[in-house]
This record gives sequence, structure tokens and C-alpha cells, in this order.
Amino acid sequence: MKISVNELRDITTIPVSNEELIRLIGARLVEVEGVIDETHKYDNIYIVRVEKAEKIPDTHLTLCQINVGNKDIKGVEKNADGLVQVVCGAPNVREGMLAVWIAPGAVVPASVHEDVPFVIGKRKMLGKYESNGMLAGADELDFDDKHEKIAEIDPNDGMDPKPGDEFADIFELKDLILEIENKSLTHRPDCFGVEGFAREVAGILGDYYGGYNHFYSATKPDNKVKIEIDENICSRYTAIVLEKHGELKKKYLTWRDVFLSKSGMRPVDPIVDATNFWMLQTGQPLHAFDYDKFVAIGGKDKPEIKVRLARKGEKLVLLDDKEIELNENDIVICSCDTPVALAGAMGGKSTMIDENTKNIILESATFSLYNLRKTQMAHGIFSEAITRFTKGQPAYQTLGVAECCAEGLSDGFKVVSVSDAYPNPTKEIVVKVTTDEINSLLGTNYDEKLIITTLENVEFEIKSSNGELEIRVPDWRMDIHIKEDIIEEVGRLLGYDNIPPVLPLHQTAEPNKMLKLKKQIRDIMRRFGANEMLTYSFVSGKLLERSSQDTKNSYKIVNSISPELQYIRQSIVPSLLEKAYMNQKIPFDKFAIFEINKVYQKEWGMDEEDVPVERMQMGFVIAERKNKTTAYYKAKKYVEELLSELNIKVAFKILKDTSAASKPFEKKRSAEIVTEDGVIIGVVGEFKNSVRQNFKLDEYLAGFELNLDEILKRANQRKEIYFGEVEKRDLTVKTTKTYGELIEKINKTLAKNNLVAEITPLAIYQPGDAKEKSISVHLEFRQKIDGEIMQELEAL
Amino acid sequence: MEEIQKLKQELKKVNAEYAGIRDIPAEERAEFGRKINQRKQEILAKIVEAEKAALDTDAEPIDITAPTAPNEPLPELYPQNQGSLHPLMTELDRVTEIYQMMGFDVVEARQLDDEYHMFDSLNFAKEHPARDGYDTFRTEEGLIPPAHTSTMQHRVLKAYKDKLEKGENIAVVVPGRVYRNEDVDATHEHTFYQCEGVYVSCDCTMGQMLGILREFFEKYYEQKLNIRTQPGYFPFTEPSLEFMIEKPKSLGGKKGDFLEMLGCGMIHPNVLKMAGIDPTKYHGFAWGGGIDRLVMLRYGLKDVRYFESGNLNFLKEF
Repeated sequence: MKISVNELRDITTIPVSNEELIRLIGARLVEVEGVIDETHKYDNIYIVRVEKAEKIPDTHLTLCQINVGNKDIKGVEKNADGLVQVVCGAPNVREGMLAVWIAPGAVVPASVHEDVPFVIGKRKMLGKYESNGMLAGADELDFDDKHEKIAEIDPNDGMDPKPGDEFADIFELKDLILEIENKSLTHRPDCFGVEGFAREVAGILGDYYGGYNHFYSATKPDNKVKIEIDENICSRYTAIVLEKHGELKKKYLTWRDVFLSKSGMRPVDPIVDATNFWMLQTGQPLHAFDYDKFVAIGGKDKPEIKVRLARKGEKLVLLDDKEIELNENDIVICSCDTPVALAGAMGGKSTMIDENTKNIILESATFSLYNLRKTQMAHGIFSEAITRFTKGQPAYQTLGVAECCAEGLSDGFKVVSVSDAYPNPTKEIVVKVTTDEINSLLGTNYDEKLIITTLENVEFEIKSSNGELEIRVPDWRMDIHIKEDIIEEVGRLLGYDNIPPVLPLHQTAEPNKMLKLKKQIRDIMRRFGANEMLTYSFVSGKLLERSSQDTKNSYKIVNSISPELQYIRQSIVPSLLEKAYMNQKIPFDKFAIFEINKVYQKEWGMDEEDVPVERMQMGFVIAERKNKTTAYYKAKKYVEELLSELNIKVAFKILKDTSAASKPFEKKRSAEIVTEDGVIIGVVGEFKNSVRQNFKLDEYLAGFELNLDEILKRANQRKEIYFGEVEKRDLTVKTTKTYGELIEKINKTLAKNNLVAEITPLAIYQPGDAKEKSISVHLEFRQKIDGEIMQELEAL
Repeated sequence: MEEIQKLKQELKKVNAEYAGIRDIPAEERAEFGRKINQRKQEILAKIVEAEKAALDTDAEPIDITAPTAPNEPLPELYPQNQGSLHPLMTELDRVTEIYQMMGFDVVEARQLDDEYHMFDSLNFAKEHPARDGYDTFRTEEGLIPPAHTSTMQHRVLKAYKDKLEKGENIAVVVPGRVYRNEDVDATHEHTFYQCEGVYVSCDCTMGQMLGILREFFEKYYEQKLNIRTQPGYFPFTEPSLEFMIEKPKSLGGKKGDFLEMLGCGMIHPNVLKMAGIDPTKYHGFAWGGGIDRLVMLRYGLKDVRYFESGNLNFLKEF
């Protein structure tokens, strides 16, 4: 929404600078997204009188001599009569008119925001007629898009325009336009009209400006037009019938055109302009129907208005010529039972006013914002009217605003009848709150008088007794229902910045164990030379398929940004494989990457809160180029070292697990990681050849995925500290067994002899044709040993 | 392998059949061609599948219990100086540590939630336009990858309300990953991190909220800061504010250069009520703001897209 600072200054008294005003609006009312500075937009543009106008034969051009008052523009020569020559192509140029002259050297206002603004000069037309600057049309002045004629100024305008006056002074154009963030006013329909906005501005300045316009009406409706409404979707519907008795003249450029344009709209025709003008003033959108067309569609001799929900399959051609198919949520205005307008959004083509319109039905109503919000989305209509309606316009002012608009049309139309369906007038809202409650929630010390004045400035009515305030909420404040709403008003209007910040005292915090574990793991991994990564939770169906995971096990996003981000990932490793490819291409020749994050799988079902079960998982991938050794063992080394730092004992067993996290792994070259109490806490290994090729990765590739929820249950148990003697031995055994089987045997033999030793590997050697391999390990005994045990071990 | 051979034979047969298209009447040729082509594609897809399966059966088994393969050296970890931590995670730790020092418990946010926690329990009226402001993603089941960490407010209030009865306060922060359906550019990501704060006691004030927030930002940026607020609107707080800090000089800020850091406000009585807390006895305040922005400012980063890029050139800087 655009708000003109000059307009605000016209409505209310603003005793502060523009800079301070904008700061205060930001601090106490609404987010100002931007400020358009128009202070110099109309520089060197003047009011002039066309003194002579002669047609140039065989052209559409007119040679004009204009009176520029006492203005002397550099390089512009005046003739003996003191007049300046301009060639004009507009059909409406004539002697005696007041026009707007863009002097040579001035920028055409409509082009100020273009990359190269258009600067008007002095030039020869048809080779002989010198033309100084130009006589401007409303389009060049940036008040209209239609290029038809030059702008004419009313000599009887209240500002008393004379030749040589600065155009900007006559129309108050040295202005700042505030661009307001609509989202931050979602709850304030009243601020979507300049009148309401200005009242708030006075309020935040700590002032009351008595001249507010209210749009109550004392008129007793004659209800000659039958109106049938459904209260669930339309709480009030006012219709004024107007009859043509003369022509609405549209000869002069008016301050209304200027106002429309500053508000970001354009003049259309006098009737539509009047409805738009009153909407911008009050926030209440209006619509004009052609009465005779409306009646003809209904098929009766009088109009009958019906507001109802659309029926499935109904169609409607809108003002912009688009035919839409209505849905059962849309509200339609009907003539008898035939839809003629999409309520709140756009009028229909069939009842559109045109130059032949004799009679008008002027609509002023309120509609359910919830229905309109859906209508907005379903049909993609984002008009100024629906923007206001979806904030929930108050019902109190429909009649008053419609009457103002009718009055504005009185040159050409007179009121025939006033009908108003308002079966259940909005109840007045009274909120009670004490000054103590206000101060104790804000942490302030405001006295009662200040609080009362502050609220009265924005027209709350207050009765006070013994510190309790009984507050009557103004009819336009649809957002105030409870005491906290009033407390917000006080805090906001007096400035939150004036609330002194203090620190409360309270109890100490409990540590979060998972957070601590993650930090510990991240630090360990960094120490191990690995790089932490974050990748998206959303992945493509392709990524899942490439990883041998089933897309059906992933929650699917219905409104995803792209197919790349359509599924919620089931495990971390696939995302890392994708990033491994990217990094191998950069190129990085060797790296270990990891990520810790939450994952979801449909097969895990719902938890006790009926939301999907979630798991904290860690993924790890190691990738190298030109390494011919077995990658599995490096990944295993990483996970072993990590778990050993966390003091968790595990065994590596043949991978049987078929869960989603295990799916990318090659069973023959991977292991499941099993705790001493038999729980699988993860998988480590190389990936299926097909998976590796899908990701276009080099052969040296492995990784692991760990379930941190299970790890947390077991991590960082107390470790037994051993200070005693240690005896060290190396042992080499020839065997056909696996390494794991051998270690188990060693441990059994030690146990039989009541011995304990820590075993670390040294080497595994197997000559090319041999069936047996030699396994060498290092033993550290925690007690004295004799030679026998070593012999026994060597014999294994 | 046998299966692949069989499929290839079949493919040959189909190709041979296709050669017979000339003997087909002209008007039936299109249909004939379409059918043959469909069969051909089916066989080709099967061949791809079979080749993939064959590729996977090619894998040689290894001794998964061993520390290394025979005749290969024992594997070694990479040198420490190659390692790095993700700046967002490091800073998120710093953020939660500061709050913990100030007495706040930490609860991590969910990354997939429901309409009730995301909106209903936060006093968003059904179908209210305020819901649109969050540009939420939705799953087929109607679940929501949360668009704000406030999705955890209701849970935190319920989980901690016993504290109030014991005469203590609720003081919790909730870091988490959130998602918005937004076009990605240098300052917008569809995936980012937020941290929520929830505080409830019998006598808390908005002044305390401003005090806690100022304290946090001063600790985080390690200097005194100018703060500013502006009115905001959230259905779950009343009053609602936007909290801003003046960009510190040391980080390239100029005077009057205020940055919006988070949204905050006094918890709406309906939100407390829905969690079973009596709003006539207790008041609360809550806030939530982006972590990415905080970190970008601290490190002078210009593009939010680096964070989830996975690019080691970027990550190794941290």
C-alpha cells in the first residue's frame, strides 16, 4: 500500500520532520518497506496559459504561444509579447486554457524511474517551427496511462493557479510516498484507508486531531431494492440506486487524479474513480453496477440482489473479459439468482457500467474474509479491493461510505433509493483492564492519565474508576477483544523503545544431552580430518532411486519448489554421495564428509503425538581418487575410532539389515554395527556398484550411517581407569579364519586363563597363492604373564 | 548373465519384427510402430535392471571383521588440519550456549510437524490469512515441514508447565531447521535455521523480554548494541514486536543502520490456555529469529546459498 506524506499532513497535524515521522511510523505503527522521494519529480514544470493556438496546415499539430508568467528559463526565448512558442499535437489544445508546461531541461515525470529518464529539450518541428519543451498530458505527468490529450487545469481551483506557478505547488506534489508492508497490517483493516492511517499517525505522535471523518449515517433506508444475504458470508450489504440527470464532466486534471496516482491506482472513468477514491480514503471497497443491465438479467421489473455461495459448475465473465469457473467457496452477487459479480474480488462483464449507463446500483458491503482469501488464491485476483476485504472490513461504515460516494457523483447522478441489509449490527465491544495490569505486563510505570489520553487519541472511549478502565472499542477496531490487545495499544502508541530492558532472575538450566553428544561427535570428526556439511532435507525421487531407496517410504511434498526437492529424505548418506560427486569434480582428491540431522521414514509410523517418528542420524562418506586399496576399512576405522571415543563397544557383523539407511550399501562389503546389548546402531561399508556408478563416483568410496538416538543411550558411560602394569607382546597367527573369529578365539583363550589384554591389529599378510593368511596383532596385558600363554595363542 | 543374453535375443527378435513394417498397410503402420517401440523400451529397461543387478553381484566379498585387507596397510585417519565444522552448527552451538548461561534449557525442534502445532495451537484462526504469510510446504498427508520454530511452543509449554507449579519459571530455547516455499536467492533460502525462545513466569514483563534479547545479542556480538523495536503482528503473541539491532561498526555498519533480527511478543493468553496454563496467573513472552542471518553478519557472508551448498572450498574455511 502506498501512502502520501502530504496527504497525511493534510488530514492531521504533524509537528515533526518527515524523517522523524517515518521513524515513528516504523517504530509504532507499521513496517515502512520503502520511501519514494518525489520532492523533485515535478521540477521545472509550470502552469501556463495558451494565449494563441494556430493549426499548422495539413498536420494534426497546433502552433501555440504560451504565457509562462514571469518565469525565465535558460535558453528559452520569449517573443515580443513575452510569450513562448510550443508545438502541440493534442486535439484539445485551445486558446485561453490553462495547461501544464514541461520546460526544456526538465525530466518527463512518467520517466523518472526509467534507467534513462527522458529530458525534454528545444527542437525544430517540420524543419521550421521551434518548440520549447512540451504541453503535458496526464500520462506524461504520471497520473494516467492513456495518451489522449493534454492536461487542462481548472482556473477556479482553490489553489488559484496562475501562469508561471510551479505545477508541484498547486497540486502539492513535492511529496514522499511511503510503501507500507501490507503483511504487517493484516489485523488492521482500518489502516487501509488514509483516514484511519492518519488517525494512527496522530496517535503515535501523542496527539488528537479532532477533524476525523467518521462514516456513520443517519439515513433511514427505504429498502426499495430487495436484498437477500447469507449472514455467514456477508454481514451487511448496502445498495444505493442512482439515476442520471446530467453529464459527469471530466475536463480538468483534478486533485483526485493526483491522489489516485499517488496511491498506486489510475483514473478509469468518473464513476469508477469515485468508488476507488472512497475506498482509498476509508478502506471500504465499493462497486458500481449498471442498474438496467442488472435488472434485465434478473428478468423482473425491479432489481433483486442476492448474495450467496456459488454453485459448482457456474461460470462468470469478469470485467477483464476472463471467464472463470466458480467454486463452492466463492461468494457471488446475483441478480435474482444469476451471478453478476465475484463478491469482493471483481465485477462481472454483464453489468459493467459504460458511457450509456443511465442508472447505477452502488454496492457497499462486507464479506467473509475467509471465503475471499480462498477466492483470491483460487482465481489469482489481487486487486486493491480484495486486499482490503481480506483484512476483514468493519460493517459499521458501509452505508456512510456509499453515501459519500453518491454525493461525489451528484453532478451527474441523484439518489433514488437506499437499501441496507444489516440484520445483526455488530455489537459494541467493551474491554476492562487496570493500569496495574498494563504496567505489570509491559514493565513500565505509566500513570493513568497518560494511558487514558493515549487511548483517547485514537478514539477509544474510556470510563475510569479506581484504576480500572472500562474501554469502549471504536467500531473500526476489529482486532481488539481482550485486555492484552489494549495493553499492546498502550505499549505501541507510547513506543516500545521507551520500555526499560531488565533481566529477570531465575533457576539454572538443564544440559541437553543430545546437543552435547552432537557437539562431541562434531569435534571428534573434525579432529579426524573430516568436513561437516549441511544438505537439504528435501531430495529428489531420482536421488532416492539412485540410492536404492523406495520413494514410497518418503513423505512427499505436494507443493515442492522443484522435482529436486520433492521428498523428505530417509537417511543422510545419499545426500552426501551427491555432494561427494560435486566435490570430486571441483576437484578434491580425498575427503571425508559428514552431516548430523533429523530424518523421517513412513515405515516408522507415528509417535504418541500422532506426528511422524523422527530420528537423529549421522551420515559419513569417504571418497578418494586413484586409491586401489579397500575403502571399507577406512570407513570402518573412522566409525571404530569415533565409537571408541564415545566409549561404546560394538561388533561388526554381516549386513542383514534391510532398512532404508542400509539400502545403498553392498552386503558383501558392508557390516552392521551391533552393540554389546545386540542393538544395530548403524551400518558401515562400501556402496553397491550400481549406486556408486549412479553417482558417478570413483571406486574408492565408503561410508556409514549411525542412529544417534541409540548412541545417546550408550555413550560416555564411566570408563574403568587402569593404572597398573602392562606387558606388551606381538603375536602372529596363520589362519583361514576371519579376523573377527581369530580375535574371539584369542579372547576366549585369555579368559580361560583369567587374563585380559587389549588387542590392536598390526598387519594381515597373504601370499598370492596361499589359502592361509598371517595375522599379526599387538597385545597389552594388564597383568604379568608367562611364556605358556603366548605359546598357546600362537598355536591357535 | 544368462538373463541378459535372453533379453538381448528378445530385443533382436523385436528389431526383426520392426523390419516387417513395410508389409503392413500404411494406415496401420503408426499403431504397429508404437506397439513395437513400447515393447522395445520395456526390454531395454529390463536390460538396464539386469545389468545393474549383475554389476552388484560382481562385488567380491571381504572380511568385514578385519582392520584391513590382506597385504594392504592399516588405514589411517586424515590429518586434523583437513577437518572443518559447519559455521551454522558452530554458531548455533554458541547461540544455545549463551542462552544456557542465561538459564535457558534447550529443546531441539522437529523437522516435520502437523497443522495443529504449526498453526492451531498458536491461535491462528482456521483459514486465517496470516497462515499464508508462512509459505508452508505440505506433504500428501497434510503434514508440514515447519516454517517457524514456534511449532514447538505448545509442546514446550506443556512439557514444562510443572515447573510453574513448583514456583519456577519456564525458560527454554528451541533451535531448529525450518522451511519456506520461497524462491532462492542470495538472501533467501527455502531451508534455514531459527532459534525460538519461550519464557513464562507469574510476573514477567515486556521489559524483561527486551532485557533478555539485548543481553543475548550483546553477548553474541561481544559488544554493546543499540536496540530498536517496531510493532509486528503474530497471532500467537499480544503485543507483538519486531526486534532490531543497529549493525555494529566493527561489522561494517553505519549509524541508523538497523537490522531486523527477530519477531517477539507477550504470549497470547489463548496459547497459554491451550497448553493448560492459566493466563490469569501466568504471563509469558516468546521470540524467534533466523540464525543464518546472524551468522552471515558475523562472518560478513553475502550469500546464504553457501550454507547448504556442500562445497568444500567454502566449508574448509571454517
